[in-house]
Amino acid sequence: MSNEFAIDNVWIGIIVVAILFAICYFIGWWASKMTTSEEDFYAAGFKIGPVTNGLSMAATWASLATFLGVIALISKLQVPFVYLWIQWAISIPLLTLLYGTSLRRMKAFTPATFIKARYGKGATITIVLWMILIMIMYALGQMIGLGQAFEMLFGIPYNVALIVSGIATVGFITMGGMYGASYNAAFQMIIMTVAMIVPMGAIMKAMGSSGWWFPPLAYGDMVPAMLKVLPTFFDMKYDVRWYFALIPAFTLGPVALPHLAMRVFTSSSVKNARWAVVWFVLFLGLLFAGTYTSGFAGNYFVATTGKTIAKADQTLLILNVFYNPMWVAAFVMGGALAAGLSTVGGNLMAISGLVGNDLLGILAPKMEAKSRIRWGFVALGMGGVIAVLLAFKPPKFLVTSILWAFGLLASTATPGILLGVWWKEANKLALIVSANICGLIFIIISPHVFPSIVIGKGATAALGMSGGLVTVPLSFALFIFLSLIFNRMPALSAWAPSLADKQVIDRIHGWGDYDENRYNGKVWPVVLALVCLLISFWGLQPWKF
Amino acid sequence: MKEQLYRKEIWITIVFSVLLMLTGHCATLFVAFPFLKGGTMWGFPVEYIVPILMGWFGMMVVCIAMALVCNKFDDDMEEFAKSQGQTVMSDKTGGK
Repeated sequence: MSNEFAIDNVWIGIIVVAILFAICYFIGWWASKMTTSEEDFYAAGFKIGPVTNGLSMAATWASLATFLGVIALISKLQVPFVYLWIQWAISIPLLTLLYGTSLRRMKAFTPATFIKARYGKGATITIVLWMILIMIMYALGQMIGLGQAFEMLFGIPYNVALIVSGIATVGFITMGGMYGASYNAAFQMIIMTVAMIVPMGAIMKAMGSSGWWFPPLAYGDMVPAMLKVLPTFFDMKYDVRWYFALIPAFTLGPVALPHLAMRVFTSSSVKNARWAVVWFVLFLGLLFAGTYTSGFAGNYFVATTGKTIAKADQTLLILNVFYNPMWVAAFVMGGALAAGLSTVGGNLMAISGLVGNDLLGILAPKMEAKSRIRWGFVALGMGGVIAVLLAFKPPKFLVTSILWAFGLLASTATPGILLGVWWKEANKLALIVSANICGLIFIIISPHVFPSIVIGKGATAALGMSGGLVTVPLSFALFIFLSLIFNRMPALSAWAPSLADKQVIDRIHGWGDYDENRYNGKVWPVVLALVCLLISFWGLQPWKF
Repeated sequence: MKEQLYRKEIWITIVFSVLLMLTGHCATLFVAFPFLKGGTMWGFPVEYIVPILMGWFGMMVVCIAMALVCNKFDDDMEEFAKSQGQTVMSDKTGGK
């Protein structure tokens, strides 16, 4: 893979990467000494304070795509992609509100811990397998980005860069468990924010903006010049349905992302989880606003200088090479690496928890905690190795495969978690059937597997937006109707929620007693299911974009 | 009291879900109601800068309110359970 950008002096890149990894390994080693139990390994002992957790949440969410893929897509889709990115920030506040604090109350390690308590083994295996698939796809995207970042820093072939970065990354993440992942992510968030914002100030100054002192919001004076050369930049381009389609795939998908939920679960208390969310929004907002500025500056650069950026993924780096000293460009690459490392850390911890705690808890219930942790380490390492192996043939846009996976998660896991927490009628068999049917439909109607059977077109279909508008509401509707039917069929009584299953719901909401009438309505779930069916039908209509 | 707390929990969840969706999906309002477009703020078209500000500071304000209201609600729930001689799930009970 050829580059438009490579640091001339390889030693600058080596020094930046060596310092970054040395600190990550030190934190991993220091954290490993604190890891003595399953609670420590999977949930950092439930001891992470609000500010550190807010930083960790933001770092886990802000992937390498924030530095590479997003800016490329802003260059391609312009402002609509900014709107798409803004709504990511809802994910952790919404999951905290809808189920995060309830599951933190029960000291869950992953969302599947709750699925197991609420729905039993069959449904847990179904959801865990979907989640692992999505986590591997997610980690794959990060590994590709890390390989590309090493390639750009050192000018070495992509495959070699991938192996070196993969081994180095999996090593320190495996060492530190969730303590290491949490403190490393907090450190990495600071690095990536500084790397995104400060050099951008210098770029804006060089571009002639008086708002260089606060790059995230003060580049308004560049707008007239931008509009002169690129009048369509701020056009909203798409119709209401396109914007509405962001909700099922991109808002409801991330709500069920296990590595985000696990960050909420590491909080030192239920109340601190909510305060961590406030810090998360502050830190993530700052970084994301910097990303939008970079996307704007990239378009501005192309429009005003007449230069072309063939590899849009490298826009931020090219801007830095053009306007800033080489060591600054290397530091920005360090920030991009930090973004990838923190997300991979979260992905691999999620795979580890899903396999080591949830799956092994079902397949080998008598296994000792110590052995389960050991298997958790193995799963963590194996998840990394699989992601590296899959990354040898990268997709065109780094970010596309990750975004598509969100729709898959929303079609399979989100209804089970949300309805499981809020509705006692939610049936075990109904979850298995609806999750698998809608997951498979989502895959079939996307352009990636059967290009001849596609709902929607172009980027809208490739990103899973049109498919998600069909299958996510369908999954909710199917789950609700099947639950109501299955619960009333004597032959399927074994799949109906037991008293113990229903007691879990009252307990995780903080009740001291049990009341059969709580969270047990029929009318509103049916109304919700009917609305979902209408939305799904809307998604089936021909797409203009 | 029990019924009141239950209703309160449902309403808190609905209201904050709607507020979070509005802050994160503010751009959709400008597409649905095009007459909102046309103005400028800090040099940017309003349909660009308002969604960015709502998705950052607007959402932060909602999250602060959410932390205050939900944490107060947790206190009310614990107080009620205590008055009934019940124990609630917490770190003290090991999440059981």
